[in-house]
Amino acid sequence: MSAESPAPRPTGWEPELAELELRTRLVQQMGGPEGVARQHSNGKLTVRERLDLLADAGTLREFMSLMGSASYVDGELRSLTPKASVDAFCQVEGRKIVVAGGDFTVRGGSGGGGHGGLGMELSASRRALEWRVPYVRLLDAAGGSVRSFEEIGRTYLPDGNSFTLPDVRLLRAVPVVSAVLGSVAGLPAVNACVAHFNVMVKGTSQLFPGGPPVVKAALGYDVTKEELGGSEMHTTVSGVVDNLAETEQEAIAMVRRFLSYLPSSVWEMAPRAQTGDDPARREERLLRIKSKDPRRAYDARQLVECIVDRGSFFEIAPRYGRARTTGLARLNGYPVGVMANNPMFGAATDVAAGEKVARMIQLCDTFHIPVIDFADEPGFMVGIESEKKGIERAGARLVITTCDSQMPWATVVVGQLYGVAGQCHHRPTGMFQRYAWPSANWGSMHVEGGAFAAYRREIESAPDPEAKQREIEKRLKDLASPFRTAEATGQDIIDPRETRRLLCEFVEEAQPILRSQLGPTAVPYRP
Amino acid sequence: MEVRSVVQGRVVDIVAAIGTSVEAGDDLVIVESMKMEVPIQAPQDGSVTEVRVGIGDAVEEGTVLVVLG
Repeated sequence: MSAESPAPRPTGWEPELAELELRTRLVQQMGGPEGVARQHSNGKLTVRERLDLLADAGTLREFMSLMGSASYVDGELRSLTPKASVDAFCQVEGRKIVVAGGDFTVRGGSGGGGHGGLGMELSASRRALEWRVPYVRLLDAAGGSVRSFEEIGRTYLPDGNSFTLPDVRLLRAVPVVSAVLGSVAGLPAVNACVAHFNVMVKGTSQLFPGGPPVVKAALGYDVTKEELGGSEMHTTVSGVVDNLAETEQEAIAMVRRFLSYLPSSVWEMAPRAQTGDDPARREERLLRIKSKDPRRAYDARQLVECIVDRGSFFEIAPRYGRARTTGLARLNGYPVGVMANNPMFGAATDVAAGEKVARMIQLCDTFHIPVIDFADEPGFMVGIESEKKGIERAGARLVITTCDSQMPWATVVVGQLYGVAGQCHHRPTGMFQRYAWPSANWGSMHVEGGAFAAYRREIESAPDPEAKQREIEKRLKDLASPFRTAEATGQDIIDPRETRRLLCEFVEEAQPILRSQLGPTAVPYRP
Repeated sequence: MEVRSVVQGRVVDIVAAIGTSVEAGDDLVIVESMKMEVPIQAPQDGSVTEVRVGIGDAVEEGTVLVVLG
């Protein structure tokens, strides 16, 4: 090619192309250098820096990007401030998604700035719904502002559901993820939970319907943003946010990782990955993790990590409802949902753990991935605290969610399996397989405690009631060997070291069933 | 730092007495909950400066069990 290529001949369109270039450059500046500097000094990335972390390199395709507030002098463009979000298609590990990234540098990420009407282009959430691709919110917004009253010269009815409706419909169609990356209030705070997974960043992100000034005005006390809606509150006490990230980089890496286990929509199969882990791998360690002493607690996460493909376990909500460990993982490359009672945190399903597990079952049912359940269930949590929180209603929800689900489900009974919570590790319909380790023991209730209730008169009228109770308990315990149940019901008892191989086979066998179940489920996902 | 119970239950053993040096992950107190013995472990290295519970005490999730200095 010649070094001096001739200048292209003018076409007459040069001014329009220059204006397009100018407007594109102006919106790239977000809220301007001061706003960007403030964002950085607050320890936060700008929306464009976040998008660079989320999207595969070179795949970002913005839409509605020229929308904003412009000013003109004599018909000439003087300034253009973009709307307070960057909306785009991009790819994550080679698959298309839609992302809506709040821009705090523009009016604190608050709505307004572009007053749409007839002719308005399709919103980001509507596109995700119609294109059937995952939807990611990067939330950094303060919600509605009374400033908009002055701009439009009136107040308005809070009819936000008109534009939240697609977000609701998305939950039964495509994976939806919210990353909370700043102080998020109002509708965006609620949208944080209209999702299948959410994550927040330690120290720089908070979530509340109304922040400290609103609390002060309504209730008269002072509270900091962090105390009110920081990560300690939401990832351990309220459970409103699943995962905690130390940095924004880690939060966005979690978003990418969560999506990697799920299909693009409920009409597609979840993607298999090559993990290189032998499906027949036998783990001797399992015989030590589960001690011969049935009272000795173990960490269920160790057990799960031994069995699933190496390095594939992604834990969800690790700091909340810890009696149940939940997450996504792979078996022979196929995505699975995992839940396990965790004796390190008491193992008994309480209200928090029950809600967490119900969400995991619904996630798997919605996106057609098998559930793998490691049961060591002492029963629903008893006691006054548990009653105050409403354990029966949480139990009812878990029973209903279990029975209503359809995806293939395998339970491995590792230790205890008692009561109605124990019953929630079994589904009487569909492709359901249960294996039990020789360490398993079960019943409608525990022998201790149960013996006194059932044999009260016999015990109380004995010359030595304590000895009588011990005698009855021994009699009952002698019946508790799982092999006695296997004789009668055919329950499969397995060598724990065979667990991985059997589960990998189960997940392989589940694939045609999952394919036949593609599409929306009868019961919609409830976050 | 205050080390709290992760479960509600009853204290059945105090493994680390006042003055004991512990490493992260060492058992401090054993709480029995729903017939499981749950070890409450040191989140970091330190020495036990206070033990706030006795064997047989009923504790809630979040009750401070020991203080590490």
